[in-house]
Amino acid sequence: MTTGAVAAPPAAAAPPRRRRLTERAREERRLAALLVGPALIVMIAVTAYPIIDAVILSLQRSDLRFPAQSKFIGLANYGHVFSAPVFWQDVLHTVIITVISVSIQFVLGMCLALIMHRAIFARGLVRGVALIPYGIVAVVAAYSWELAWSLNSGWIPKLLGLSGDPLSHTFGTYVAIIVTEVWKNTPFMALLLLAGLALVPDELLEAAKVDGATAWQRFIRITVPLMKPAILVALLFRTLDAFRIFDTIYIFNQGAQGTESISMLNYATLLNRLNLGLGSAVSIVLFLFVALIAFVFIKGFGAGAAPGGEG
Amino acid sequence: MRRRRLAGFVIAAATTALIAGCGSSSKGPVTLNWYVFPEPSGSFAAAAANCSKASGGQYNIKLNFLSTSSDQQRVSLVRRLAANDSSIDILAMDVDWTAEFATAKWVHPVPAALSAQIRSQDLPGPIQTATYNGQLWGVPINSNTQLLWYRKDLVPNPPTTWGQMITDAIELARKGKPHYIEVQGAQYEGLTVWFNSLVNSAGGQILGPNNTVVIGPTSRAAALIMRLLANSPAADPSLNVTMEGQADTAFDMGNAAFELNYPFVWNSAQKTNPAVAKQMAYAPFPRVAPELAPRVSIGGYNLGISSHSKHPDLAFAAVQCLTQPANQTTYAVKGGLAPVAASIYSVPSFQKAYPFHSLIKQQLETYGLRPQTAAYADVTLAIQKALSPTSNIIPGSVVTTLRNEIKLSLSSGALL
Amino acid sequence: MSHRARETSGWSLAILVVVVFSLVPVVWIVMLSLKTSASATDGSFIPHHWTLSNYSDIFKLGTFTDALRNSIGIGLISTLLAVALACAAAYAIARLDFPGKAAILAVALAVAMFPQISLVGPLYNLWRQIGLYDTWPGLIIPYMTFALPLSIYVLSAFFREIPWELEQAAQVDGATPFQAFMKVIVPLATPGIVTTFILVFIICWNDFVFAISLTSTTAAQTVPAAISTFPGVSQFTVPYGDIAAAAVVVTVPVMLLVLLFQRRIVSGLTAGAVKG
Repeated sequence: MTTGAVAAPPAAAAPPRRRRLTERAREERRLAALLVGPALIVMIAVTAYPIIDAVILSLQRSDLRFPAQSKFIGLANYGHVFSAPVFWQDVLHTVIITVISVSIQFVLGMCLALIMHRAIFARGLVRGVALIPYGIVAVVAAYSWELAWSLNSGWIPKLLGLSGDPLSHTFGTYVAIIVTEVWKNTPFMALLLLAGLALVPDELLEAAKVDGATAWQRFIRITVPLMKPAILVALLFRTLDAFRIFDTIYIFNQGAQGTESISMLNYATLLNRLNLGLGSAVSIVLFLFVALIAFVFIKGFGAGAAPGGEG
Repeated sequence: MRRRRLAGFVIAAATTALIAGCGSSSKGPVTLNWYVFPEPSGSFAAAAANCSKASGGQYNIKLNFLSTSSDQQRVSLVRRLAANDSSIDILAMDVDWTAEFATAKWVHPVPAALSAQIRSQDLPGPIQTATYNGQLWGVPINSNTQLLWYRKDLVPNPPTTWGQMITDAIELARKGKPHYIEVQGAQYEGLTVWFNSLVNSAGGQILGPNNTVVIGPTSRAAALIMRLLANSPAADPSLNVTMEGQADTAFDMGNAAFELNYPFVWNSAQKTNPAVAKQMAYAPFPRVAPELAPRVSIGGYNLGISSHSKHPDLAFAAVQCLTQPANQTTYAVKGGLAPVAASIYSVPSFQKAYPFHSLIKQQLETYGLRPQTAAYADVTLAIQKALSPTSNIIPGSVVTTLRNEIKLSLSSGALL
Repeated sequence: MSHRARETSGWSLAILVVVVFSLVPVVWIVMLSLKTSASATDGSFIPHHWTLSNYSDIFKLGTFTDALRNSIGIGLISTLLAVALACAAAYAIARLDFPGKAAILAVALAVAMFPQISLVGPLYNLWRQIGLYDTWPGLIIPYMTFALPLSIYVLSAFFREIPWELEQAAQVDGATPFQAFMKVIVPLATPGIVTTFILVFIICWNDFVFAISLTSTTAAQTVPAAISTFPGVSQFTVPYGDIAAAAVVVTVPVMLLVLLFQRRIVSGLTAGAVKG
């Protein structure tokens, strides 16, 4: 299975089985249902039920601050969402952060994957050290960078010789947030790419080298095409994750300085202002955006299935 | 958080209730959970212990500190109240939550007798913050108002208007002296406090009685002042992220000539930088219009009783005790919290701890009030977003934007 | 300079960059946690005045020790449940013939891509009505759910590495598929299960979205949520030292797990992808 989708569902790899007695097969199915059932039920119940609930809520004025005034209002909440300038601004912020941070993560992740794959020494050290950002609590990563960039407490403004506070304006805040995201997520990107690198046969690269191809040519003409499925999977998962960005922005400034993401807007409307109807409309729109991204990657580019992201 | 979780819990709770008893005929004192902002001096803890003792075994007040930020305190409380959490009895409500908590029926109205006592004893500003639809929903425990703090070595005569203060700062900047005006410019509640103080001081309001939107030219004037300051040399480069704490830090580091802030900065300066503290002086909040006295947004807290409390009567008794003038004096002298009872402003020990007491009292009598509406969380957010960053305010459109968003907020339709 | 030496120094440089970039934020938060509160805002990387008082402070703070208890308890229970459910499912996927295998993998994939933030509103609304708001089960249920896809994929990849002949031999000897699973597969599968356990625990330990939305008191608040609501010394100060110290405490166990099991984690995370 070195060709085709890198991570085709393991089902495809199940060994062909001999025909057995029908009774035996039936018993096997029963057992399979018993084994798979609980996990399947949990996954469906805990995602599908609330999302249906959100659809229902989104069609009502349901605001816990005005309990006496709940009523069915049709699609009005969606109208409010799409006519609110803040919604489109937040879509833009989210897209900016997603595109820039995932692009940087991809380039750096590829470098890191090559280092982990090819390093002639200290491979264990690199792997261990690079895993630290992956394992660290997202909130801690965000605090560390936030407190490093802040003029009040940080060392970065001093290092860069800044007189102002980088976190007091939009550009500086975006830089800081993107650096945090890149730092935290590049290792995971690298791991997914590393899996793809392992699929590139050394003999092929050796042969190309003998034929006089430069390192860059070998990389672009051989490694990248062979890795394409892994690259798409890595990009899909990192894009989806980046699009849902929440923790870093919450810790930095809860979306001030024009950095509010859709997730942040969704959270604040629902859980700070308890406007369940309007907030649920945002949830549903966000859900559809994510579904659209996944659809484009899977149907459009043919990205296969892969293990989940960081959850 | 012991509600319908498991049958076992219900049974256990029922048994406990039977053993402990709910009424006054109980064997042990009832525990009243008091949720309040962090009070590091220990004066709340002392008062809670004293009141518990004075209740003669009726109740025992358990102090629970919430987080530092008022926004987070609200979020933590309202989510639990909306979840019918019965483990909150007494809650400290920031003065701008009254209308919301009353409309959502999360708190009990204050009984008539206690209301009458509060109305006779407290200053008008704090009473008004706890009032919604003519009814008291909380018992004021402390108040707060911002003064102008300045460096008398840099500014011999404190400015009386915003215009003059900005001019003074520009002049200091020209001379290469510390010149910043420290004010709360971050996108958070403090920005609304600043804006509302300016609007009220200009003689205007944002929201009138019965949720009528009356925002108008005074708001434009307020926005213009904020924009002017933000684009002048008077602005600290960190203005857009400055909250009360950062403003205090910057002033104590000697970077600023002026600071608009709450009285906690007085003791903070003595501790952090005595050299600056020696030069620190205070004056009334600057005026917007020279002929109008400033009306500064009142801060502070009111104690409400949760609708889900199992012991509302005892809780009101406890609140009456916690807010009695003797306790307020301790909160003020030890904890630096401005009292709400008028009589305390003539107590010598308080006057000594609060050299600026007469300014505070004056500003609590002629006060400004943030909009009183159940949708306040939306209204304040609309204001914060429309005015942040302060350097980019567009005075021409900001009033129209705010009027539309505030109107939409009142029908739960504003996505902000 | 010889080719060999040039290559060595090139690699050294690359490795150095990786090490520095990965470690600086971690070292910084440690440094900040060792500063006195007066010098926390001096902006220097290395403390001028060293102190351990931030650590003793946070352990005196009931909020933090309770949050630590909640994080460990909720994390372990969620992980155990997720891994148990996933083991069963992964075994069936790797080993048994049954219709709908593609469907369960599709569901797992969909859940892995699901925007969790879309769920916090309805979950809050549901939890507040049935009494799960601010409780352990209130977090365990979503944690377990969102850990399942990764667990199923990683475990089924590991399970497919197991030599099946042994199981078949056991079955020939008269064992049922379940007995064969318990006696033969479980011991062989343990390394994969441990790896999955670690990966899932890290996910639960790191979560912020659900923790901040579905809890509010020491009854169930986990450390990431607790740090973000730490009280300052006064109403208006940021508790830099406490935040940093708590951040270090919550980072150490994960760092140790990651460093001890780095080889396993890398193979676990890449397994599903390589062995397509």
